Amino acid sequence: MIYLDNAATTLIKPYAVGAAVSRAMREAASVGRGAHGPGELAAKTVFAARELANEMFDAGGPERVVFTFNATHGLNIALRSFDLAGRRVVVSGWEHNSVVRPLAAAGAEIVPALGPLFDREANLRAFERALTPDTALAAVCHVSNVFGFIMPIEDIADLCRARGIPLVVDASQSAGVCGLDMKRLGAEFIAMPGHKSLCGPQGTGLLLVGENAPIRPLMAGGTGSVSVRHEMPDFLPDALEAGTHNVPGIAGLAEGLRFISSRGTEAILAHERELCLEAARLLEATGRVRCFLSPDPEAQTGVLSFIIDGLDSQTSAVRLGEMGVAVRGGLHCAPLAHSSAGTKGTVRASFSAFNTLSDAEGLAEAVARLI
Amino acid sequence: MLNYFIMCRSLTYAQKSARVLERAGIPASVSRPPAEAGDEGCAYAVRIAEKNLPRALVALKNAGMPSGKIYMTDRSGRFSEVPG
Repeated sequence: MIYLDNAATTLIKPYAVGAAVSRAMREAASVGRGAHGPGELAAKTVFAARELANEMFDAGGPERVVFTFNATHGLNIALRSFDLAGRRVVVSGWEHNSVVRPLAAAGAEIVPALGPLFDREANLRAFERALTPDTALAAVCHVSNVFGFIMPIEDIADLCRARGIPLVVDASQSAGVCGLDMKRLGAEFIAMPGHKSLCGPQGTGLLLVGENAPIRPLMAGGTGSVSVRHEMPDFLPDALEAGTHNVPGIAGLAEGLRFISSRGTEAILAHERELCLEAARLLEATGRVRCFLSPDPEAQTGVLSFIIDGLDSQTSAVRLGEMGVAVRGGLHCAPLAHSSAGTKGTVRASFSAFNTLSDAEGLAEAVARLI
Repeated sequence: MLNYFIMCRSLTYAQKSARVLERAGIPASVSRPPAEAGDEGCAYAVRIAEKNLPRALVALKNAGMPSGKIYMTDRSGRFSEVPG
């Protein structure tokens, strides 16, 4: 099988990830509960992961790294930390439902800053216009999960800071691929999954909490600290980590972080981008495929959306799956992105650090057989 | 040997404190002190040797991590708060 659904979950992980998960399941217990060997191993494992993430993302301290179960969990914590009912929240035109739905549930007035696909300048100008004085929050994806479009997040962050508007960043598609620096962005929150480009297991995620972020627990429960109180602790990370941690998952995520650190995000992005460009070249050579490719290669990751003439995206993806090529069709949980791009669904091939040029060629050969 | 316990409000804070001390060349370990030391339950502490206490307090202060209450165990194992 050629696996090209890495924007959903990376399937092939570094060997050390699985080994760490297995070891933690056998040897590590709970963090901050029993003061015995398996408990201490759990505590050390989780703290090591916090330190790795803190170093990788310049989070401002290991305590500012909160473990979540996925990016959606982190985004819900982040977005529910603000009072948004009836208030203006500016988003990009490329948001996933993991941003849009929590905002809708909070009763926010969702205002997309719309710009053309792959035009970073125009998208930035849209934010300049949309970030009005009555804006309560900006919630922005770093990279579109549908098109791999890299938003000018640093510039948007500068705008937010200059205007005193809190910023929540959805780094679901950028963590592990693009440079991501909490201190540089000055965001209130950055949420990311562990199971995509960070190469961790499913059920893991990170929420980076900025120095000025409001702390409002989404869940309440045991933390192994200030236990006589009925209220949640008011300090990080305990305030946002009720209940038992996913220690095996976090152990695996730590190995994923080590892998990313050793390879470097620049090298990983360059590799994935090369495969994306080659796949697009081969697909377009069929004459029956429309690829969504940025004219500026710097504005796109290794995520490639395409449409096959005369074949809807879901059917295309199912047929390709039957031919041994794992891609995704449909809206990719991001109807806003399709509305912004004028599409009604795409086939998405998303590359990882472990894909090769032969995978890009295999995709194009399968599509050629399909048409 | 006498040991000092620098109280921390959370496990992560204790781990971070221990890391700061290790980087300053001061052996330190995360510890669960006796229940009487944790007036809010589930307390954590960083344990250090008696001779290292002054250096440890300076290292923590320099790292922007003010220390909490300090306890000690004497040679008989008795646990008591060190007056501030």
